[in-house]
Amino acid sequence: MKVSIKWLKEYVAFDVDAESLAARLTMMGLEVEALVDRYAYLDRAVVGKIIHMEPHPKNNSLHLCKVDIGQKELSIVCGATNVEQGDVVAVGLPGMKLSTNVVIEPRQVYGLLSEGMLCSQAELGLGPDQTGVLILVKESVPGQKLSDAFGLSDIVMEFKLTPNRADCFSVIGIAREIAALLNLPLILPKAGLVEGDTSIETLISVSVESPQDCLQYFARVVTGVKIGPSPQWLQNRLVSVGIRSVNNVVDVTNFVLMEMGQPLHAFDYDRLAGHQIVVRTARAGETFKTLDGVVRTLDSGMVLICDAKQPVALGGIMGGENSEILDGTTNILLESAYFNPATIRRAAKKLGLSTDSSHRFERGVDPEGLGRALDRAAQLIVEVAGGQVAQGPAHGGGLQFDKRAVEPIELSIGRTNRLLGTKLSAGQVIGHLRSIGLKVEVLDDDSLSVVPPSFRVDLLRPIDLVEEVARLMGYDQIPVTSPVVPMIASPPTDRLRLREQVKEILLGCGFSETLTYSFIGADSFEKLSLSPDDRLRSCVTILNPLTEDQRVMRTSLVPGLLSTAYLNQTHRNYDMRIFEVGKVFFAKKGAELADEIEMISGLWVGARHVRSWHSKGDGVDFYDVKGVIETLLGALDVKDVTFRAGNQEELPYFCAGSMANVYSENVFLGTFGQLAPFVTSSFNLKRPAFCFDLSLDKLIDRVVWAKKARPFSRFPSVGRDIALILNDAVEVQQVVDFILGTGADFLVSADVFDVYRGKPIAEGKKSVALRLTYLALDRSLRDDEINVIHEVVTKQVLDAFKAALPLAQQ
Amino acid sequence: MKEDLEKIRHEALDALALADTAAAIQGLRTKYVGRKGIVVQHMKTVPSLPVDDRPAMGSLINGIKRQLESAFDDAVEALVLRQSKTASILDVTLPGRRLDRGRLHPITQIANSICDIFLRLGFEIAEGPDIELDYYNFEALNLPKDHPARDMQDTFYVSDNVVLRTHTSPIQIRVMEKQSPPIRIIAPGKAYRVDSDVTHTPMFHQVEGLVVGENISMADLKGVLATFVHQMFDEDTSLRFRPSFFPFTEPSAEVDIRCVICRGAGCRVCSQTGWLEILGAGMVDPAVFKMVNYDSSKYTGFAFGMGIERIAMLKYGIDDIRTFYENDARFLEQF
Repeated sequence: MKVSIKWLKEYVAFDVDAESLAARLTMMGLEVEALVDRYAYLDRAVVGKIIHMEPHPKNNSLHLCKVDIGQKELSIVCGATNVEQGDVVAVGLPGMKLSTNVVIEPRQVYGLLSEGMLCSQAELGLGPDQTGVLILVKESVPGQKLSDAFGLSDIVMEFKLTPNRADCFSVIGIAREIAALLNLPLILPKAGLVEGDTSIETLISVSVESPQDCLQYFARVVTGVKIGPSPQWLQNRLVSVGIRSVNNVVDVTNFVLMEMGQPLHAFDYDRLAGHQIVVRTARAGETFKTLDGVVRTLDSGMVLICDAKQPVALGGIMGGENSEILDGTTNILLESAYFNPATIRRAAKKLGLSTDSSHRFERGVDPEGLGRALDRAAQLIVEVAGGQVAQGPAHGGGLQFDKRAVEPIELSIGRTNRLLGTKLSAGQVIGHLRSIGLKVEVLDDDSLSVVPPSFRVDLLRPIDLVEEVARLMGYDQIPVTSPVVPMIASPPTDRLRLREQVKEILLGCGFSETLTYSFIGADSFEKLSLSPDDRLRSCVTILNPLTEDQRVMRTSLVPGLLSTAYLNQTHRNYDMRIFEVGKVFFAKKGAELADEIEMISGLWVGARHVRSWHSKGDGVDFYDVKGVIETLLGALDVKDVTFRAGNQEELPYFCAGSMANVYSENVFLGTFGQLAPFVTSSFNLKRPAFCFDLSLDKLIDRVVWAKKARPFSRFPSVGRDIALILNDAVEVQQVVDFILGTGADFLVSADVFDVYRGKPIAEGKKSVALRLTYLALDRSLRDDEINVIHEVVTKQVLDAFKAALPLAQQ
Repeated sequence: MKEDLEKIRHEALDALALADTAAAIQGLRTKYVGRKGIVVQHMKTVPSLPVDDRPAMGSLINGIKRQLESAFDDAVEALVLRQSKTASILDVTLPGRRLDRGRLHPITQIANSICDIFLRLGFEIAEGPDIELDYYNFEALNLPKDHPARDMQDTFYVSDNVVLRTHTSPIQIRVMEKQSPPIRIIAPGKAYRVDSDVTHTPMFHQVEGLVVGENISMADLKGVLATFVHQMFDEDTSLRFRPSFFPFTEPSAEVDIRCVICRGAGCRVCSQTGWLEILGAGMVDPAVFKMVNYDSSKYTGFAFGMGIERIAMLKYGIDDIRTFYENDARFLEQF
């Protein structure tokens, strides 16, 4: 909200500069966002004296003037007829923006250079007169800034008000806070309404049919007004806070709105059928054309102000075209009402129509200020538009809605101090509360009975008063202490520990962490070529996304990783090793909330190692990603990890034959491998991409948290090799499992060290070489005893897999 | 014979003294002690000597052989040492074989630093769902439907009753529903609002804090946040508490810190004010305690919340928040 300093000074005579006032108000909870000099736009307007004037040689309706602006003389071509040589005038210099939004520039006018402009009052935004150039008194000094010459200076404070401070949405509201801050009296406008003889009852009847939505309705009638432009002072006030002047009557309603915070509405009395006001709720689907010319469709939660025949205003939000004040209006009805804040908020939100009125009604206007604002407006209308005010306001509604007057709030000094950590005396607390107009009575040593003024609709509970005390004493006066609490600690959860460890291990594997949005485009599922009934399609959809590519909550981290790789590729970075640990979301049938599952996904694109003199930049392959998974699960001590060839039908975005599933015992942990080429290309990636996708949730239970030391041998091990010719289809793991399963004495491991296909090995076969390690915990092994054992193992393997020894060993 | 051998030994050692390449030394080694070398040839003559002379001669020849062998070894060693001192064999400016290490995302790093400070103070970490019921996100936090304060937050809706949480505050409620005081938690996590510009992304991260107990005061809130700010920034970073409004706390405060860029002199980052708003805080509103059945005549508490991106931007000097979610490698590798 904007408030001008000059306007404020009408109600509180302070003498503090704008900047320090703004700082102090901010520290009181009324945040001043900006201080704006209202007349800053006049920076390039100066006083000029016309020292010579001659007709334009090519156009006799123009003159060429030599204008003295102090340091300089300017040539200005001017068409005005009200100036003559020797006049002192307002000169706009190049760069100045006129109220018509034209920016003055030097230009040629019929062949002569004009270096500025002689401006009218209207062009300067200083008044309505546009008939000629603004002429100043002869004593004005050429070159002086126009704003200085006129003594124009007014700073406008822009407040960022919190929703609870409804009382500050007015100039008087802010003035009241300043008065409390500076300990100055608040000067309220004098009531001086003179009523005529005609009784309001003979002119209008008011009935409120939905008193829960419109709790109070007051109306006054002013007859015999003359609609016209507002006087300068009134226009000036409105312009200072950014409100456009319309006509004298509408301007008065806006003025009182700004001054007192009570929204008012003026109807053309003669256009109200039956001279009747009926306040009712709208019928669902009913339409109404508001002042702005828009036809709006209403629902039953909205309030309509109607005459005998039809709606005339959308209650609390905006008037209607059918009853607005026109140039020929002579009799007016003024409305001042209290609408239910929730009703107005719902309606305004539903209609997408927020006005100065609705904004204030939503937050709660002063329930006792309705009559005061109405009288003030009626009085000002008579002042600026003539006419006579009928006797008395008409009244409808009448629900009791301010209970506080009958139920004072009880405040405990002790509790106030305990909550704030202060040692305030009763006197200090009372002083603060009274400074903003609260009525305080002492009940006993510790208790106060407090009645807030009606305009403080936010003060309902003791805690609200504690906040006022804190705010008024200043938060900086509250001491700084450390809380005293029992020393209880619980260990971090397994999830937190695991998440941290996983990230640490992946960093060590050269993967960098990325964070991508939790929402993705709905087209991501197509890009991953998911079947229509794929599990990953049961996503949560956002009703109001910002963009289409943020339409659904992700069910996989993979699209985010691929998009990230694409972004980097556009910067010619083709080698990426990235991961994300984050949640995916699945819609759950019959439940309101989603299933949220934490995933660990990574992407490796491009080279295995960055190309260098010692590395040719070979592309990453399946076994690189498998190595990462093995490193990760190994470092975490995951129980019984097995790898099985994956089913591409299940996860169509992986490459058939180049993917694997990983399990711990029989718990499925996730999948890794090469992404299908059409997936990488639908994300516009140019290089093969390898990916892993593991469930952190599943992993939590599979990690061995309590580590136990195992004995290890201090004696040398003995190694023996086996080379086998196997059918290509035999998985090496089967052989390893078989070997370890033989239970041979001293055998501790079997590691593959070579796999070979090609000549001289027959087609469909492969040669696999394994190293078996034998070890005893308590002694050195003898070659001869191992030879015997190894021979047996070798024979068992050959038999089991119908394998042959390589030629060299046959 | 004896003299011959002595002569051979001298010849060999003299020649070795002049050999200055590995090849020359190897040549001498082959010539004298190789399988067909001079010394070895002499050894072959031993069986033809008189029986009595054989042991003495044998051990003499063996002695010479061992001596020469060790002389050759020493010479090679000395040569390598000499060469390593005089000539650089490696171009040490060539890049080494690096073991790549990834980087933690800057938001994670800042979140970790924030959490670490509070963990040291005895807080525990709590988490909650990103997709949240209206009840937890708003109502239980004293933000009933149709409350104007809901305007402060632009909400993504999943249904009338389900939202993407607009802050991490619903975690407070979920924790208090399950646990009785005393409570000291921090709740880091993602939050979502319909907003996108240089200082807002539709998804962002917050850390929420909550302390509930007997006799917890606003002075304690100031103490805890001062400790946090001094550790997160530095001891010279002063704070100020400004009255504000949040439906779930009262009294409420905005917490500003002295601008970490200009130290209060006024700059672009702090809009010339010398202060930066980094935290919202306040005493837990009794209405919130009522929602979780806490006795507000017995317990008091404070809560605070901060945006992690905001702090990361200040710490790292980043001026466009969207940079965090582009994940450009050239950005990530800086942290």
